[in-house]
Amino acid sequence: MTDVLTRRQLFERAAAGGAVLTVPGLLAACGGSSKKAASSTSSHQLAKTLRFSNWTLYMDRNNKNHTYPSLIEFEKKYGVHVRYTTDINDNASFFGKIQGPLSRGQSVDRDIVVLTDNDRYLALMIKKGWAEKLDKSAIPNIKNLIPVQQHPSFDPNREYSLPWQSGMTGIAYNDKLTDPILSIDDLLTNPKLKGKITCLNSMGDALTIVMLANGDDPTKVTDKSFNAAFNKIKQAVDSKQIRQFTGNDYAPLLAKGDLVAAMSWSGDIAQLGNKHLHWNVPKDGGAIWTDNMLIPKGGNVYTACVYMNYVYDPKVQGLMEAGDPKRNITGIYYIPPVAGAGEWAKKYDPSVANNPLIFPPKETLSKVKIFDSNALNNQKYLTAWQNLISA
Amino acid sequence: MSAVAATTQPRGEILSSILAFVRHHVLTLYSLLFFAYLLLPIAIVVAFSFNHPTGNFNYVWQGFTWDNWRYWDGVPGIRSAVFLSLEIALLASLVATALGTMIALALVRYGFRGRAATNIMIFLPLSTPEIVLGASLLTLFLNLNVVFGFWTILIAHIMFCISFAVVTVKARLVGFDRHLEEAAMDLGANEWVTFRKVTLPLIAPAILAALLLCFAISIDDFVVTYFNAGSETTFPLFVWGAARVGAPPQVNVIGTAIFVIAVSGMLVNVLIQMRRTRAATS
Amino acid sequence: MGLLHRHRQLTPYLLLAPGLLWLGVFFVVPLGFLAYQSLQSGNFDIGYSFSWAWGNYWNAVRDYRPQFVRSLEYAGIATVLALVVSYPVAYWIAFRGGRWKNLLLLFIVAPFFVTYLIRTLAWETILSDNGFVVHTLQHLHVLGPGGRLLATSTAVVTGITYNFLPFMALPLYVSLEQIDHRLLEAAQDLYASKWKAFVRVTLPLSLPGVVAGTLLTFIPAAGDFINAQLLGSPENHMIGNVIQSKFLELTDYPAAASMSFILMAAILVAVAVYARAVGTEQLTGTAV
Repeated sequence: MTDVLTRRQLFERAAAGGAVLTVPGLLAACGGSSKKAASSTSSHQLAKTLRFSNWTLYMDRNNKNHTYPSLIEFEKKYGVHVRYTTDINDNASFFGKIQGPLSRGQSVDRDIVVLTDNDRYLALMIKKGWAEKLDKSAIPNIKNLIPVQQHPSFDPNREYSLPWQSGMTGIAYNDKLTDPILSIDDLLTNPKLKGKITCLNSMGDALTIVMLANGDDPTKVTDKSFNAAFNKIKQAVDSKQIRQFTGNDYAPLLAKGDLVAAMSWSGDIAQLGNKHLHWNVPKDGGAIWTDNMLIPKGGNVYTACVYMNYVYDPKVQGLMEAGDPKRNITGIYYIPPVAGAGEWAKKYDPSVANNPLIFPPKETLSKVKIFDSNALNNQKYLTAWQNLISA
Repeated sequence: MSAVAATTQPRGEILSSILAFVRHHVLTLYSLLFFAYLLLPIAIVVAFSFNHPTGNFNYVWQGFTWDNWRYWDGVPGIRSAVFLSLEIALLASLVATALGTMIALALVRYGFRGRAATNIMIFLPLSTPEIVLGASLLTLFLNLNVVFGFWTILIAHIMFCISFAVVTVKARLVGFDRHLEEAAMDLGANEWVTFRKVTLPLIAPAILAALLLCFAISIDDFVVTYFNAGSETTFPLFVWGAARVGAPPQVNVIGTAIFVIAVSGMLVNVLIQMRRTRAATS
Repeated sequence: MGLLHRHRQLTPYLLLAPGLLWLGVFFVVPLGFLAYQSLQSGNFDIGYSFSWAWGNYWNAVRDYRPQFVRSLEYAGIATVLALVVSYPVAYWIAFRGGRWKNLLLLFIVAPFFVTYLIRTLAWETILSDNGFVVHTLQHLHVLGPGGRLLATSTAVVTGITYNFLPFMALPLYVSLEQIDHRLLEAAQDLYASKWKAFVRVTLPLSLPGVVAGTLLTFIPAAGDFINAQLLGSPENHMIGNVIQSKFLELTDYPAAASMSFILMAAILVAVAVYARAVGTEQLTGTAV
C-alpha cells in the first residue's frame, strides 16, 4: 500500500513540476527504468562512457577498419569508452529530437552535441538554459582557441560552447559530368544541370550564398534581399532545377553520380576522396560557419570537458584534421579552431596543411560571410523557408 | 487452330508449337518474371553485403570480399543496435503472442457478450496507418512525461504485434477438431489439464508461427519505433541514420542474415509440411 | 456446479482482459490524447494548451492539401498496380501450384524478411541515375537522355508497390485457393470459354481477397513516408512526411496531430467510397 502511495506522490510531483523528482512518469510507476537528468555536480571523476553526438563525415577515420583513431587514442589515454553517434544531419531535426526531453528536464543521454552558429538552435539551447556550463579548469588547452572564435555573440565568453570545426558553404561538382560550376547563377539556372543538383536545407547556408550572388549583403538581411534570394531558389524548385533539399545526405548522391553538382560544405568533398569531385567558393562569395560543441543539460560536464581539452591539443587536432595517409587515415578536412594545429597537420600530410580550404588564406576568408543572426530568428522567414523545403 | 498447324511446313509447325507452348504457359512465364522482380532487390542486398567499396559508399560493385561478414560489427554503433533490436523483438513477440493466444482462445472457444466489439478492437490496429499508431503513442508518452527509450519501444511493439498474433492463432483454432478435447473431458480431465495436454500441443504450430511473425514484424519496424525511441537506436533506426551518408556494407550483412535465418526457418517448416502431405496422399 | 458455471462464464473475460487492456491503454487511449493534442494552440516556445482549436484542422487542409491528395493518389495507384501485378501469380499458385504451393508462397513473403528500409535502399540502387534500369530506359527512349527515375513520383510509386505487394498477393491467394475446383470445371462446361468462366465464376468468388488485399495495401501505403523520403524529392512528399517532420523536427504537435486525424478520415472516406462500389457485404465479410 505504501508502494501505491509513493507512486501517487511521484505522479503528483511530476504534475506539479516538482523540483526534486522531475522525471518520474508512467514508466517509473510501472516499475520501468527512468533516467533522470542528474543535476550535474562539478565532480572531477571521469564517467565510464562519453556519449558524443556529431555530424556525419566529421571525424578522422581509419578506412581499413572503419574506426576513429583519435577516439581510440582518447579511450586508451583516459580509460573512457566513447559512444560516438553520427546522428546529426541538420540542426533543425536534431534539435527537434532533443528538445522534448530537455524541455521536460529529462536526460538526452548525451554528453556532447554539435550545433551550428548559422542556425537558430545553438543560441536557443544556451538561452533556454539547456546547456551545461563548461568546467574550464578541465580545459587548460582552451588557450589554443583562435582569437576570432573567442567572443561570439551567442556565447560572448565561451562559457557554454567551444568550436568543433568551421567550414565554408559553396559549390561542389563532378568534373566527369559537367564543366566547372563556379557561380550560383550557373548552378541554379544551367539547363544541363536540371534535376541534377541539390540545395542545402539550412536557411543560413543557402540564403547567404544566393544573396551574395544577388549582390546583397547576407550579414544584414532586409525583406527585400530575403525575398530576392528566396524567390531565386523557389524558381529553381519550380523549374525542377533543384532535385532535393539536403543536409549531409547530398554526399552519397554526389559520390555515386546521381548529382552533377550540389550546394555543399567544404570538408565533405575532401573527405569523400573522389578525384572527380571539386569544391569551390562561388564567384560572388560563400558562407562561413562554425559548429560548436555543447554539453546538453544532464551531460557529464567533467568528462566532456576532458575530451574538449584533448581535442584542443594541437597535436591531436593536427592528426584529426589531416589524417595520416601512411596509415590509411582520412582527416576531417574542415577548418580547425585550434592554433598550432597546422604545424602538426603538416607532419602527417603536407598537402592538407597547404590546402586553402582547410587553412584558408586571407583572400579566401574575405570572400566568405556569416549570415545575419537576427534573420535566423525571424518567424516569417523561418515559416516561408520551412514551407519551401518541405513542400 | 490445330488444322492450320497441320497444313503448314514443319518449320511453321515448330513455330506454332512454340507459340502454343508460350500460350499454354504464359501464366507460368509471367509468374517467373514476377518472382524475378520480387527477388531482385533481395539479390542486390545480398550481393552488396560482399562488396568491397574503396570509398565510403556501397553503391557500385567494386570487388568481392568476406570482410564485411567477418567484421559485421566493424561499424561503430551497429552492434548495440542489432542487440537492442533482438532484445526488443524477443520480448515483444513473447508477450504479444501470449496475450494474442489468450484472446484467440476466448474468441473461438467461448460465446460471450462483446464478441463483435472485441473483433473490431483486434481489427482496428491492423487498419490504422503506422504513422498514426506511432504519433498517438508519442503524444501519450509526451503528455504523461514518460522517458522515451527501451520501455516505450517495447510497449509500442507489443501493442502492434498483438493483433497479428490473434489473427494467426485464431486461423488455426477455427479449423480444428474439438472432439479430441471433448473426449479428454469425458475421460475426466479438467479444463486446464485438457488445455495443457490436448489443446496446447495441437495449436503449438500456430503459436510458433505467431511468435515468428511477431518477431519478424518487431525487428523490422521503423515508423512506430522512430516516433518512440528517444535516444535509443534499433537496427532499422541505425539503417535510417546510416543511409544519409551511404549505408556501409555491414548493414547489408545484417539484413541478409535476418533474411536467411527467417527464410530458412520457414523453409524447414514448408518442407516438413510438403513431406507430410505427400505421405498422407501416397 | 454453480461455481463451475460461473467460472466458465468468467473464463473468456479473463482470457481477453490482459490483451484488450494493453490495446486499450496503448492504442485507444493514445488516440484520445492525439485528439486532445490536435485541439491545442500555442507554439513550442510558450508551450501548448487546450483550446478547442479547430482552426488547426482548417490550416492543415489549407496548407497541405497537395500532400494529402498526393498520398491518396500514390497509394491508390500503387494499390491498383499491386492488384494487377499479383493477381495472375496468386491465381497461378492457387490453381497450378500443386504441392509447391507453400514454397511459392514463401517466395511471395520473402521480401518481408528483408528490413523495410534496406529493401527500399536497394531500390535506390536499382533506380539510380547510373543504374542499368535508367540506362535501358534511355536506350529505349522511354526516358530522355537526362531522364531519371530517382526523385520522381515513378520511383516513389514503384517503391510503395513493391513494399506492400505481399499484403495484396496473400489475401488474393487465400480467396482463390478456397474456390472449389469442381465449381470451375462446371463453369467451364457451362460457358465453354475459359475466359468467360473466369469472369463469371472465378473473379466474383475471389472478390473477398481483392477487397482485403486492397485495404491491406491502401491503408499503410497512404500513411507511408519512407518511400517518398528515400526515393522521392520534396515534390513527391506525402502527408506522412509532413506529419513526421512536424512531430519530430518542428515539434508543432497540434498541427501534426490534426493532420494525423485528417489522414485517418481521408482513408475512411476512400474506403467508404470503395465499399459502395464493391458492396458493403464484401467489406464486412473481410473485416472480422
